[in-house]
This record gives sequence, C-alpha cells and structure tokens, in this order.
Amino acid sequence: MEKSGSIDSLGSKRSSSRQPSVDSLSSTSTSRSDRSAQAKPPSAMSSDSVSTSAEFSPELRVKPKASAKQVLRESDKEEPQLLPNENVQDMAQDITYFCPFTGALRGTVIVTNYRLFFKCMDREPAFVLDLPLGVVSRVEKIGSASSRGDVSYGLVCKDMRNLRFAHKQLEDTLRKSIFEVLMKFAFPVSNGLQIFAFEYGQVFPENGWKVYDAVSEYKRQGIPNESWRITKVNDHYELCDTYPSTLAVPVNIPDEELKRVAAFRAKGRIPVLSWIHPESQATVTRCSQPMVGVNGKRSKEDEKYLQSIMDANAQSHKLFIFDARPSVNAAANKMKGGGYESEDAYQNAELVFLDIHNIHVMRESLRKLKDVVYPNIEDSHWLSNLESTHWLEHIKLILAGALRIADKVESGKTSVVVHCSDGWDRTAQLTSLSMLMLDSYYRTIRGFEVLLEKEWLSFGHRFQLRIGHGDKNHTDADRSPVFIQFIDCVWQLTRQFPAAFEFNEYFLVTILDHLYSCLFGTFLCNSEQQRLKEEIPKRTVSLWSYINSQLEEFTNPLYVNYSNHVLFPVVSLRHLELWVGYYIRWNPRMRPQEPVHQRYKELLAKRAELQKRVDELQREVTNRSASSSSERAGSPTRSITPVQTFV
Amino acid sequence: LHQHCCKIFTFAYYLLLLLMHVNVQSKKHCKSIVVNEVNFVRKCISAESNQDDPWGKLICTNFKVSFIPQEAPPKQKSQLSHLLLGEHDIPLTCLEQVVTVNDTKGKKKVLGSNQKLKFNPTELILYCKDLRIIRFCFDEAGPESARKVCLAIAHYSHPADLQLLFGFEYQGRRYHECKGDYIVGGMQTPIFDRPSDWDREIKRTSASEWRVCSINESYAISPSLPEYIVVPVSLADQDLKQYSLYFTDRRIPLWCWNHPNGSALVRMACIVDPLHQRKIDQRIFTAITKSHTQRSEVIRSDLDKCLPNIQDIQSAFVKVRQICVLDPFEESEERWLSSIDNSRWLEYVRAFLKHSAEIVYYLEGKNVSVILQEEEDRDLNCVVSSLVQLMLDPHYRSLIGFQSLVQKEWVMAGHRFLDRCNHLKKNYKEESPLFMLFLDCVWQMMNQYPAAFEFTEAYLTVLSDSMWIPLFSTFLFSSPKQRAQHLMDFAKNKAIPQGEDQVVYFPPVWEWSQQFSIKDQTLFNNPMYVGKGAACVQNGEVKTFRRTKKTYSSTLRGTATLMRNGLKEGEDTLTRRGSLVSELKSEFSAVKDESPSERFFRDWFSRPADQQGLLIPLSMPSHVALWKLFFLRWVPEACIPRGGPITAYHKLSQLVDEIEILQSQLRQYKGPSPGNTPLPSPSGPPSDQRRMYFKASYPDDPATTPDFFTSSFPFTPVGNLCRRSVYGTPISKFLNGARIWLSTETLANDTV
Repeated sequence: MEKSGSIDSLGSKRSSSRQPSVDSLSSTSTSRSDRSAQAKPPSAMSSDSVSTSAEFSPELRVKPKASAKQVLRESDKEEPQLLPNENVQDMAQDITYFCPFTGALRGTVIVTNYRLFFKCMDREPAFVLDLPLGVVSRVEKIGSASSRGDVSYGLVCKDMRNLRFAHKQLEDTLRKSIFEVLMKFAFPVSNGLQIFAFEYGQVFPENGWKVYDAVSEYKRQGIPNESWRITKVNDHYELCDTYPSTLAVPVNIPDEELKRVAAFRAKGRIPVLSWIHPESQATVTRCSQPMVGVNGKRSKEDEKYLQSIMDANAQSHKLFIFDARPSVNAAANKMKGGGYESEDAYQNAELVFLDIHNIHVMRESLRKLKDVVYPNIEDSHWLSNLESTHWLEHIKLILAGALRIADKVESGKTSVVVHCSDGWDRTAQLTSLSMLMLDSYYRTIRGFEVLLEKEWLSFGHRFQLRIGHGDKNHTDADRSPVFIQFIDCVWQLTRQFPAAFEFNEYFLVTILDHLYSCLFGTFLCNSEQQRLKEEIPKRTVSLWSYINSQLEEFTNPLYVNYSNHVLFPVVSLRHLELWVGYYIRWNPRMRPQEPVHQRYKELLAKRAELQKRVDELQREVTNRSASSSSERAGSPTRSITPVQTFV
Repeated sequence: LHQHCCKIFTFAYYLLLLLMHVNVQSKKHCKSIVVNEVNFVRKCISAESNQDDPWGKLICTNFKVSFIPQEAPPKQKSQLSHLLLGEHDIPLTCLEQVVTVNDTKGKKKVLGSNQKLKFNPTELILYCKDLRIIRFCFDEAGPESARKVCLAIAHYSHPADLQLLFGFEYQGRRYHECKGDYIVGGMQTPIFDRPSDWDREIKRTSASEWRVCSINESYAISPSLPEYIVVPVSLADQDLKQYSLYFTDRRIPLWCWNHPNGSALVRMACIVDPLHQRKIDQRIFTAITKSHTQRSEVIRSDLDKCLPNIQDIQSAFVKVRQICVLDPFEESEERWLSSIDNSRWLEYVRAFLKHSAEIVYYLEGKNVSVILQEEEDRDLNCVVSSLVQLMLDPHYRSLIGFQSLVQKEWVMAGHRFLDRCNHLKKNYKEESPLFMLFLDCVWQMMNQYPAAFEFTEAYLTVLSDSMWIPLFSTFLFSSPKQRAQHLMDFAKNKAIPQGEDQVVYFPPVWEWSQQFSIKDQTLFNNPMYVGKGAACVQNGEVKTFRRTKKTYSSTLRGTATLMRNGLKEGEDTLTRRGSLVSELKSEFSAVKDESPSERFFRDWFSRPADQQGLLIPLSMPSHVALWKLFFLRWVPEACIPRGGPITAYHKLSQLVDEIEILQSQLRQYKGPSPGNTPLPSPSGPPSDQRRMYFKASYPDDPATTPDFFTSSFPFTPVGNLCRRSVYGTPISKFLNGARIWLSTETLANDTV
C-alpha cells in the first residue's frame, strides 16, 4: 500500500486517519499491548472493505504513532486482537464473503464470544471485516446458492447492512457450521448465555457510571425550590416500576396523592419534572396517557396535579399538554382504557396533538430506508426514493414537536406536559430534544450523557425490548429504532448549528454503534429497576467510561458556548438531510471528505506553534531591553490573547 | 419649459438622495437618470402583516429600480453592502419579469417594453434573476404616477440595444472622473487577450509541444475565438487556416490545459462538412498525438450526445427556482424531495460532475489526451473543460486561478453571455443558466472538499449576482469579437485615449473594488484553504499536483463506454427485495465487474485526498446537494436564526486571523533591526491587510451569537422574497395557474 511519507506531522495525522483497515487494526492492537494506562478504544465496528468509514471506525482513529510502528505485517497475523475475556469459539477457513461492493472474497472466519472476524489475505491491503455479534439481528441459512453445493448464510445487521457468507458443504455431518456457532453467541440471551458486557472487564481512567446523579442534576436546575420538591416515594419502585427512584414533583402534592394520580396514568407514570426554565420557571413535565377509557373517566387528583404544575409557574395561566400521537391514535387508545385529557376536565389546559407515529411505523420506515441505501443507491430518483421511505418526514415531525415545546417554554413562558401512550418512546424523544434546544448544558459531552441517562435510561425507555440485545427473535414487534431516530434528530441539530455542540458526529455514531455492540452495560435492560437488579453498574463498563477517557476524539473544535443560546432549528425538509455519515457509511464510494474539524485542529496546532515562537522571541527581546536600558522597563508587550478553544 | 425644469429638479433631488447614502464616494459615478418616480409606496416586507412595511419613494432610473424609504432603516450590521446598489435597489438587467396587479379588479398583467396598461395597478411585483421577489403596494400612491413608474420599469428593463445598458454610461464617467482611483489595483487576473497570458499557461503546465498562434488576430478567422489561441506545434498557420473552413463558426480546436504526464485537454466545435470530417479529424488527432510527450492516443468525448442540452438545463433551473422561491413554503414541504428530484437540476449537476470526472480519468489515469467536442464549442464545453481543470489543477482553486479559468474557458472561449443571460430580453429560447450550473458544480466540490478552495460560497454567490449588474465587461457580450468592437466604439465615443487598456476603461467583474469594500471582500476568503498564501501551508511547501503514478489494472477494457453514453450505466437493474433470500441474492448480483474507470475512482477514493492534488467529487446521488445559500438565501422561512455555516466560518476565521497576527509578529521580530536598539513590540498587520472577515476575538467579546448570524449570511431575506401566499391570492394561481415561472407565452399573450 502506498504511504505518503512526505507529509508533515499534521498532514500525516490526517492521512493516517484514513489508512485502510490493515493499519487501523494493527494500531488497535498496539494500543492494546500498551494498554496499561491509556484507555483503549474497543473495536465496536468493523471496517468493512478497505476504504469505508475511516472517519467513524474507532480503530482508525488511534494515534498515528501507534500505526507507524505497527504498519508492518500485523496483517500477517490471522487473528483479531482480543478484548479482555474474549475467547475464540470457532474458526473456519475457505469461507467466502460476498462483499456487495467489491465482490466475492475468500478468507478465514473467527468467531469469538464478542465478534465475527473475517480476513481475506488475497487483497492488498488485506480485507478485514470485524463485526461485534451484537449488531446481528438474524442469521439465516440460505440453502445452496450454487450448484457446487455450497452452504450459504445471510446475516442481517441492525446497523444497516446485510452480510452474506458461504462455505463448502461440510463432509463431517456432525460438525456444526461456524455460523451455527455464531448464532449461539450472537443471541446469548436466547441460548442461556451471558451478554458479553458482563465479561468485558476493561478498566478505564474515567468511571462513566458516575456521570449521572439524579439529585445533582435536579440541583443544577435549582430543584428543590419553592414550587418543586424531590420525592422518594418511588425509592423501591413501588409507585412506578419503570420510573427512576428520584422524582421531582410539585411541592403541594403529598406522596399519598401521587399514588392516586399514578392509578389514573398508564403504568403509573405520573407527570414529573424533566426541566425547569431558570428564569421563567416554566417547566417541561412528562408522563403517560391518562386512563380515560371509552367512558371518559376523570380523576380529581390528576386534574389537581396538573393544575399545580401550572401554578408552579407564575408567568402563565395556561398549561399546554402535548400528546405526541396523531389524534386518531390517541382516540383509539380509549378502547384500551387510555386516551387523552379532555379540555373540559382540565381547565386552562390546551391539548395539542403532534402527529408522531408509533414504533411500528418507524420500524417500517427504517426498513424501507435500508432498502434504498444498502448496498447501493440507485442512480436515478434518489430523492424520490428517499421521500417514499418517509424517514425524514418522521424526523421532521419529531423535531417540529420538540420545537413547539421549546418555543412554548422559552417564548411563551408556559409550562408543558408531554406524553404519548406509555411515555417512554415518543415522549423521551420530545422532552430530550426540547431540552437540548433550551439548555446549552445538554449540548456539552457530559451534559448529553446526563440527558441520555436521565430522559432515556432512568425514565425507562425499553432499550432491551426496542433493540433486542442478544435475542434471536428478530420479528419481535417491540423492536423499533426510536433511539436511532432521536440521535438522527440530534445530528440534524448539529448540522444547523455547527458551533453549538461540544461533541462531534463521531460521538453520535459511537453511541449508536455501542447501542448494539453489547460491549458496554449502558444500554442494557429496560429500566432503572432492572439495571439495579442486574447490578449493571457493578458488573459492566459504562460507555461513558470509554468516551470520557478520550474526550478529544469526540470533541467538536468549533464549539462556542454562547450564553442563553436557545436553538430554534428550521424544521423543514429544506434543511433536513439524510445522515449519510451513518446510514451510507458502508459504501466504499462514500468516503468522509476532508472534515472541517480536522482542518481546525491543524490550525490550532499551527497557532500553538507560532505562539510559542512569538513568546520565545518576546522573552528574548525583553531580556535584551532589560539589559540595555532600564528606562523602558515594563513596556507592555501585548501578545494576542488566545481565544477560548477546545482541543 | 416647465417640464424641463421639473426634470432638472428631479435630477437634483435624486443626486441629493444619492449623496445621503453611506458610500457617497463610490456611488457618485453611479448617477443614473431618473426616469420616473412615485411617492407613498409601501414595500412589502412580510407576508403576514404590513405593520413593519417601510413607506417611501419608488424610482425608476436608466440603471435600476430604487426604493428610498422615508425613514432610514436601522443600519444592518455586518452584512455585505454593495458600493453601487443600495439595500432596496435592483438593477434593471436583474429583472426577470415585471408584473402589475389590480387587486380590486382582479386583474394582472405582465409588462414588456412599450406596452399599455389599462388599469391602475395596486401592486407591482418584480421577479428578479437573482431569485428575489420584490413587491410594492400603491394603496396610498397616486394612481397615475404609479402606473407610469410601472410602465417605465417595464420599458427600461427591455433595452432595445446593448449600448443602452448602463455600463456604457457608467464606465465612461468613471474613467474620466476618477482616473487612477482604483485602476487595476488588485487586477492580477489574466484576461487572455494577449499572447503573454497564454505563454504563461503553456509554461506553467509544461506544454512544450504547444504554441501560441495568432492567425485570429483582428478576428480574421473566427469571431467567437480569442485573438490568440494555443495549437499543436506540428500544425502550421496555413494548415489551421485551411482546416478552419470546415468547423462550425470556423472554430478550430483550442488547447485548454496540459497534464504533467503530457496529455492535453482540447476543446473543439463540430466539423460541418461531413465529406471532410474523417480527413480533418485524422489530422487534428495526429497533431495532438504528436504534441503528447509520450505520443499517446487521443480520445474524443462528444458532449452533445451525453449531457443535457441548454434547453434541458434552462427548464430544470426554472423548475428548481419555482420550487425554491415561488411555491408556497408549507405546501411544497410535503413533496419537497421529489419536487427537487423532478426538477432534474441536481441530476444535471451530477451528470456534469460525473462526466468531467470521467475525462479526468482519461487524462490522469490513462494518460491520453482528450478532445471535448460540442456543436458550437461554446456551452457544454465551457462547463466540462473548466470542471476538469478544477479537479486536476489546484492553481484554479485559488481565487486568481479560478478567475483566470473563467476568463479562459468562458469569456475568451466565446460563451454567449449576452444571449444566455438574455440581457436584452429578446430571445428566450437562447436563455440558459450554464454559468450558474457551473458555479453549482464548483459549490458541490467545495462542499465536499472545504479546504481545497481559496474562495467561499459567498464569493460564488456574489459572482452569480454580478451577472445581473450590467457594469462589467465580463458578462455583457457573446463573443470576443463583439466585446472588442463594442469596447472600441465605446472608447471612441467616450474620448478614451487610444492604446488605453480595456481593463482600465471597462473593467471586468474581477475588479471587485468596483462593488465591495476591501473589508467586505474578505468574505471571499476561505479560512480553511490549504494552498499558496494560506495560513497553514504544510511546512511552507505546496505540493505539486502530480499524484504518484500507480499502475492500474492490466485488464483494461471497454473504454468506449464514455463515448457511447457518457454516463455510466446505472445500477437500476437491481430487483426490489422481499424475502431475505432474494435480498441477499440481489446484493450479490449487484457486484458487477468494475470498469477501469470505476477501479480508478475506487482506488483514488481509498487513499487520503491531497487538497493540493487531484480532487474527484463524489457523485453518488446522495452526495450531490441543493446549494442552499444560493437557492434559499431569500426565503425567510428557511433562514436558520443564529445558525448555519456562518457560525463555523466565524470561529475558523478568528483562528486564522490569530495565526496571521502571530505570523506578522514573527516577521517583525525577524525583520532588520539595528543591533543594539530594542525591537518595538510587534503588532498585528494593519487592519486593511487582514484577510479574515472576522477578527480574532478577545475575552471581552460579546458572549451571545450576533443576530446577523443566520444561514442566509451575508445576505438577508428581509423584504427580498415576498410571495402572496399567506393572504391574498397565491401568485402562482394569479398567473393563469401556470406552474412554471412565467413563461414567454404569458408575456406574449397577456392582454387585459
């Protein structure tokens, strides 16, 4: 492979970030071999085909010094570099991988309890596919694809790809195909095995489990205050088993009454505080649907409760209830005992439907999107095909809903209540997105982690069910890309406000990759209660440990922390784009181009170097002038004050 | 006599108004004659309410439509301000269509030249070529004067003759009144009107087997070729003269550029006489082969056969413009993507980029010379030849280099700017936004390689706007000969001394000081640029654009695809997938044998891109985007408050400004200083030499995003796009339900 040796350090850093897979893998291994102190990026993603997704595969972003040493013939090794407690389960040669971009490749497959590793040495550079088994959604034997009696296996992945392998019919009929072995480890939950996160014992300098503490987060928001208190009524998850133990509720509602409110809200998910405006005291509260039913049942306690949410904000005598669903769906829920608040029962409340569709519609939309973008994009009618998936339209509706919430709170100084049916999917999307628009704290890396921990994890977004970690039941109707959609919305915001977020695109991609990888415990289980029961913080590593141990990788150098900057994005298809850096990253023709951020870092380095030289000269001059003349003492030499920068 | 006095009075009054403007100094030559005016006019700013609408005077001069508000508007901070045009001014050449409306009678009329208007207009809507839509209401204005102003605007925006364009008036006055004031100050852009400019290009690209030929001096051979052209050394003047007889418009092949590997890019018109075609072809090919250092073969790409024609491009542009600025915002939202798709604009942009990349493959990957052939060699060839050179040669990605490229491949190569821009509004069939298409293609490359260009998208946008200001020699003519003749007559009429350079008495658009202050021109500078003069040249060394040669697969075959249909066959043979089995099968079958060019591209894309080397744009449909700054800058609903690319540009510019201050300090330290005197404490460069629009910030800078940071920066949508969509009748319904921008037929048939 061609090396560009003439580039200086800045340049080579850039170029090394695009080195094809061989180097990158080897560099992973380097950092592992001297793992002792430094955080090691786990390989959660494969680098499919030589040139793919260089920007976003962790392996490729390891420091160049590592790659420089190890470029040589790490590729000769047949094995992947294993993570702590990762064991090879099976290995097979003469496997064909049908790469949809470069054609059939013959090589070796290794299956561990964490990954599938395919290597083809015929290519220069060697072709490597390194896939955490967590991303596999289904494995299917496809019978003989050719007359030669090959056995073919298809792997459908959760991260927008399909992989296809084949091997010769095994002569020893008792011997299992390596893909049967793979199936066992790809779906540990279905096979009575443990998810790899429980075995992975990597120690990172940072402890991600300490990132979020509900009480400190409420404190940051100024809670408790004269109108809001923190209750321990759910300490043992008795009030609501899908809610966190720490809840913020209006001061004048005693715990006993909360229980009666819980009886009237689906799954006991009572309205609780998500965010409070530091000046106007307008709040964002979240809950599930009221159990109105066909007979239009009412609850005095619930009505009083909402009234006190409104009263807690002196600025407005109105309360907005945002029901995320289309009104038809909300009405249909009455048949199942649910429904929505009638404006007769809730005085001063205005109900708004946000027309966001349910998890099934979203799942179908993403499936269509995959059809359109993978493996290849058709040459004609791209935008029309994209439109027919409705993916961006759904993104738009979610962002539009969040924008209305943010606008009501910020401009209208009015408190809002947000719910859908259960209040753990669309509600989480809406509250967290509106909080991102309203509060710049959540736009920092740590703030965003807190936001996810709070609005998604602690409030019981059912990650286990929606993603189906380690579960072979790929047709489960509970699976849905609700969280992916949320991250997509965040990416859309970063596109419109490129300087308003402390994190970069790679941060978002990394979160999505580890949503599936099952390497970290962060996205396991469905609720705080379950996580506590499973001792997740004790037995697994947090994704934030990994991320916070190497923040530079995830930092947006263009970030400016303007005070009081509320984001009002333009929620229009004119500005919403398909996130190609995520959905189309497997396509080798889609190479991340010279990123602005990279260039900015080069410029920062340049400035530092110049500053150093100027300082040196200045010192020299000062010394000289001090010795030659004493009159000019203390002449101020104002060097440029460096602006606030984030490297 | 009374009338005469009135005129003098108006003129004086107008002068007074002009003087009140901020930039008195530069605007003084721009005195245009007031033709007509009306008072108490309301300019519509917002569609919802007219509370904030400014009132003022609407004036038609022989240069522009001007609106002078009664109350001076609050000064816009940090917006691009034009030296010759006020915030509310529209040059007459920028008017696409003048529409008068009478709301109460439900009448409307599209006005042309010398027309009658049988109703008193209550409204005037001006559709502009730069995509603005500006609306004036006459509810309080005198009906008769309103009518007269509308007729005057319509009349003066349809000049009968090129000489009536204001540039001929303006440049004469400017020349005499402020001779030497800004004479060719920053004018480093070669014009290619003299042999030395061509010689320099030959030397720069080491095209030693090519020579400057002067057989077209005084346009003796062809009116649409420049006087000096570059031809193979093996062809004698005599041969060329003879061959010229067989080419359309006698346009013999023109050399454009040489690759360091010896292959040349040549453009040429078609051979009219089929009898001689083979013979001429052969001789030309042989000569070009001889001029190749390795005697490589020559390949011809017939652009007429594989790219959309000028009418296709025009209709795509009309559609995309319709969708972006005319259709009601909310209603067009639902079908936005497919509407953009159906306009085919992006498809065409992609086709030109893809085809140019294919040509690059031949020049760079196959080391053969390429002839671009087109019927007249004056339209598609301009786009493709300049794109190919932009991809291959980093010189053209610098500001001066880019301007010289436009000068060489568009202005001097005889692109019919006058006809394609339709400045005289005579022949709508000839109108086509080819130059705009080219700028869009450049933007796509810039979007993909943000550090590779010295200039910004604001520059490209401003350049496109300049097409509609009739003051520069660049966009006013259809051929070099026409330009030469008009400028000669002009010089004679305006008593300009013989021998004076036309660049001095009738400057091209590249003399940016005509339009913008030095400070505003810094908006053209891209802080991220990696290249000569950039803040961060790697170790002070600019690498040559030659990429290390690699041996490409020996299984080259089927190179003829390019010739046959230009665009590669699409992957649309893919079957839709249902079951997993068919899903995976279809993916497998999608793997086709790679063509050599595909392999070349894959190979190139697998390696890090050198910003100062070959750059190939990604032309997957998903990577060609709508140029938002150009198409949506006036759309208020699409304007992101306190967001958009400007926020990143701001931060980058500040950093680069700091770097430049430090560099300047270093230079001062290192500069000569007497041995024993202490050095002065160095300061940054003087502010007029700072390259960045945004200066390095200090801790006491405001901590909030400035208001003018919007996605439309440095433009503002306020008052520049007033559709009648929210109240009143949507304008599209108004116009006979025509779904297209107003067609020519509407113009012709429209009588009330």
